[in-house]
Amino acid sequence: MAAIRNQIRELRARREITQQELADRVGVTRQTVIAIEQDKYSPSLETAFKVAIELGVPLEECFQYDPRGKR
Amino acid sequence: MAPSLSYREKTLYASLVAELVVYGPYFFLHQQNSLNKVAGMIVAIIVLQIVLQSAIAIFTRNRVTDERDHLIELRGYRAGYFTIATLMVIGLGALWFHAAAGQLHIDSRMMGLHFLSVFFGALVISDITKTVTQLVAYRRAL
Repeated sequence: MAAIRNQIRELRARREITQQELADRVGVTRQTVIAIEQDKYSPSLETAFKVAIELGVPLEECFQYDPRGKR
Repeated sequence: MAPSLSYREKTLYASLVAELVVYGPYFFLHQQNSLNKVAGMIVAIIVLQIVLQSAIAIFTRNRVTDERDHLIELRGYRAGYFTIATLMVIGLGALWFHAAAGQLHIDSRMMGLHFLSVFFGALVISDITKTVTQLVAYRRAL
């Protein structure tokens, strides 16, 4: 399991935001949003904050760190 | 949702196609080397890249690149650097060894061309390695 996990997919679905919309708001590509949602890419701190702000939740509600996870 | 190709990915596929189309015949239909042939290939790859990249830019509306693109680009350059460094050492070492052992019966005036061949071959292989590394990273989501 990845060291950094996230709830972006659930939060996005709750707010009815598409991957493309979130990508446009954050300033990344849709492929990057997909990679983050699948826990295959850990974004930079700046992007993580932007995602959390766009989803209207605190950072820790959006991203969680598991020290036993794979880096 | 399955990821479609991003702008950077499309440009990488175009680069790979251009590299294989231009360099492929050089390696697989290898004939006598010449400076003109190498220069011709460099011009051909530049022209083909400009045409393909322009076409992609015209037909792609969303041309955003982000931090993940930069990270993948760096990984590609790292793989390319290790490839060119390794091939240069092996290629030039082999050339020197054969020359020193007297197994390479070439005119000293042609030595420059042989070094150019080794250098150009290493450059081409490392460039293809760089592109393929980046494409694999995109397909594996990183």
